[in-house]
Amino acid sequence: MTSTLPATATAPAAAQTPPARTDRPGRRTRPPGLRSSRSDQVLCGLLLVAVVAVQGWNITHYPTLSDDEGTYLAQAWAVQQGEGLAHYTYWYDHPPLGWIQIALLTWVPSLVSPESMTVGPMRIAMLLVSAASAVLLYVLARRLALPRWAAGLAMALFGLSPLSVVLQREIFLDNLAVMWTLLAFCLAASPSRHLWHHFGAGIAAATAVLTKETMLVVLPALLVTMWRHSHRDTRKFALTGAITACALIGVSYPLFALLKGELLPGGGHVSLWEGITYQMSRPGSGFVLDEGSGSYGVLQSWLYYDRVLPLGGLAGAVLLLAVWRWSVTARALAGPALAVGILALVALRPSGYLPAMYIIQALPFLALVLAGAAASVAHAVLRRGRREGERRYVTGIRVVAAALLAAAAAVYVVPRWYDGDRTAVTADANAPYRGAARWLATEVEDRADQRVLVDDALWLDLVHAGYEPGPGAIWFYKADLDPAVTETMPRGWRDLDYVVASPTVRRDAVDLPTVRDALEHSRTVASFGEGPARIEIRQVTADAAVGASRGDAR
Amino acid sequence: MSERPPSRGDLGIWGDLLLTSVFIAAVSLALFWMAAFTLWWQMHAWRTPEVLASTRFGRPEGGEGLSFSLLLPARHEQAVLDHTIQRLLQSRHTDFEIIVIVGHDDPETTEVACAAADRDPRVRVVVDTHEKKNKPKAMNTALPYCRGDVVGVFDAEDQVHPDLLAHVDHAFRATGADVVQGGVQLINFHSSWYSLRNCLEYFFWFRSRLHLHAQKGFIPLGGNTVFVRTEVLRDAKGWDPDCLAEDCDLGVRLSSAGKRVVVAYDSDMVTREETPGSLVSLLKQRTRWNQGFLQVYRKGDWKRLPGFGQRLLARYTLMTPFLQAASGVLIPLNAAIALFLDVPVGVAFVTFLPAVTALVTFVFEVVGLHDFGRQYGLRVRPVHYLKLVVGGPFYQVLLAGAAIRAVWREQRGRSDWELTSHVGAHLTEVTREDVPA
Repeated sequence: MTSTLPATATAPAAAQTPPARTDRPGRRTRPPGLRSSRSDQVLCGLLLVAVVAVQGWNITHYPTLSDDEGTYLAQAWAVQQGEGLAHYTYWYDHPPLGWIQIALLTWVPSLVSPESMTVGPMRIAMLLVSAASAVLLYVLARRLALPRWAAGLAMALFGLSPLSVVLQREIFLDNLAVMWTLLAFCLAASPSRHLWHHFGAGIAAATAVLTKETMLVVLPALLVTMWRHSHRDTRKFALTGAITACALIGVSYPLFALLKGELLPGGGHVSLWEGITYQMSRPGSGFVLDEGSGSYGVLQSWLYYDRVLPLGGLAGAVLLLAVWRWSVTARALAGPALAVGILALVALRPSGYLPAMYIIQALPFLALVLAGAAASVAHAVLRRGRREGERRYVTGIRVVAAALLAAAAAVYVVPRWYDGDRTAVTADANAPYRGAARWLATEVEDRADQRVLVDDALWLDLVHAGYEPGPGAIWFYKADLDPAVTETMPRGWRDLDYVVASPTVRRDAVDLPTVRDALEHSRTVASFGEGPARIEIRQVTADAAVGASRGDAR
Repeated sequence: MSERPPSRGDLGIWGDLLLTSVFIAAVSLALFWMAAFTLWWQMHAWRTPEVLASTRFGRPEGGEGLSFSLLLPARHEQAVLDHTIQRLLQSRHTDFEIIVIVGHDDPETTEVACAAADRDPRVRVVVDTHEKKNKPKAMNTALPYCRGDVVGVFDAEDQVHPDLLAHVDHAFRATGADVVQGGVQLINFHSSWYSLRNCLEYFFWFRSRLHLHAQKGFIPLGGNTVFVRTEVLRDAKGWDPDCLAEDCDLGVRLSSAGKRVVVAYDSDMVTREETPGSLVSLLKQRTRWNQGFLQVYRKGDWKRLPGFGQRLLARYTLMTPFLQAASGVLIPLNAAIALFLDVPVGVAFVTFLPAVTALVTFVFEVVGLHDFGRQYGLRVRPVHYLKLVVGGPFYQVLLAGAAIRAVWREQRGRSDWELTSHVGAHLTEVTREDVPA
């Protein structure tokens, strides 16, 4: 463990020593790849089946449909319908590449059965993404020189943690971005150190950023990985190529805005500039360790599902960074450890905005560093200071110690994960949504003329039930925030027929006057579910101001 | 139907826009693939560290086995010839002869050559008596006199490394090759803006692209530092005396006959040369090569290549000067259309593809210049990078001009060596024009 080189693909390069002239210049010997290793294939295949089974079973019923899923899927639907990038004015909130991919993923199913283009059923498309990410993570772990068992461990941590299961099931752009990021890392750590693999890594990285812009902060870690895995003689070409590719693909987004004449603010149109300004100036959710702040709540919601992966991964990253000098594994995992470090620091900004899906982009790196730390510890216990002819009982102690550590970890993790994952494969959190969707599709007459405020998660159900997308079925906050929609409602809440008061609608109504008014001037005609998670369908009635809704607003 | 004929204007505009879009998209995609392939090939040597390592000469071991006949055609080169001969004689290989080829109408050069022959028995002089002279005729004249196993070609102003022959000897024996092409490198990148680009062209060509050609089994050879087994050369009947790019032609004929060509490049073993002395001579040199490539293309020897991919590569490589000329004009035009004409956003994106590839090429050229400086221990300053980038479009114009000129001359049947018209006036540039890239 004294060498400064990682024990990774930088195995003695043919280029270091003048090679014997081979028959054909340009032929090279390739290090044995994963594709040829039967054990890797079997292990990765078995884990993949487990991950897909756990994530796929009951995917439509759990977790609760999220407003954001509805947003992205609806925009994907708009893309499929050829209506542009959104059925409302696209205002550069996020780069559109994410839901363009969702549109592609759901294209065939939506052709076969158009009604299935709603959030619940279309979560199945995310299974493909999860599966691809899990396999890429295994490949990356092997390329970063983790032993086979540790690569398997990383894949299991990434795919089976209850936190992952919940978040990766959902139609979030972050999940797609993670897939591209993992592809970029895999290409950056390519054992053949091929110029165009590194170039491809740049393209994949740019795709990741254009899928979800927050991936930008992970790019330095990618660069470190690429640096470590490139060869001195070709490095400058490889790295410049990758950076150029990334920059050129990235520039396509402003270019797109420029071509549409929407790069800079101007009268009567949205602009990329304003979109970015909005995202940068989003009100902060407080310091993450400050009890009572929004960020703290988000952190607690993650830890509710799983503590092992977030906290263990963070500890693993700290451990790897601390033993950098002595551990080959630590140096091999420099990229992922750095990614965890950057993401942790960004989350610790006192005034930053911490969205609930923030942790998704950290999950693969947390899994990698945790598995890497486990490998490092295992190596230290089993092999460190070991000499030829070590006494048998010392070896015995080593083995017993390792077994005890593994058993202790298993005793801690397995019951917790079993409970979490059992909930994920059995619970039905979406019965109220399905009930509400069914009621609105059957009990309301004249649906084409009805105007309904609804949260994004239910919006596509209404569209399939015959409500007119846009002016009929209305994303509730557009009634207050989108001038194009407000214009169609000159009389405010009086122009509405129904409000579907889901938890999201009740929560956000505080800041949305029209929605608040509509809730106040309506009465419940059907209710699904119990307590704070219930969904009420409220009919707007001019005279019957029903005070009850006010108390529910928060 | 006949009551209201469709408004021609509306439909016309719509139809025009559609047609324009399709046309622009098609042109853009074609340009993109062209530029992408060229870039891919240009970067061949740096694809992996292993490929880069394999482009070098192997270390000579196991003694010497071959004898060399080194051809040195010289015309009005009395000023530099003796120095070149002396340097060649310093070669550490033990078994070679130098055959200096001079014209019967060139007493000054002949005098220098004969003096050298008197001093050292390894130097011999052959006199070329052709009425109209050119390099292939001169070399064909000398071919029957070659006694070595291998014929090597140098130019009269070349600086040849003393260890080169030993390395070439080893390369022949280690690989069983029929042809070994060594590296040629223009060095004086600081002389002018175009010499900077010219040097870099050589760098990418000999350092990288030629190796790909050798690997694929289709290679246009260079004009010097090229070594061919004597019997192979005699079987091929030497060089084509009527071709303006006789070296390229020889390479094409030998690869079509299935001969094995090996390329090796070592920065300390390359033959160093200088760029043409003026923009006009560079233009003339490039015109001649382009015309030569066109002639080789029309001769059609490359059609005998066994593989479809090889024939495609041959067709593409020989047409490159003309494609390059076209793309140099079309890429900016295309980008301008995308920006200023009201085409759909998707189409506009496609039109940027070639420009993107061109930009990537630019970036790699900058890195290449850095590497060039490193390899040769030359100091590359920021102003050189600036010249490289700014000079790019102008160099494209130059290349396009040379390509158009070549087609023009070939059409009018003017296949004389342009240099004959100013023999004696521009001595140095005459010889420099003999190095194809």
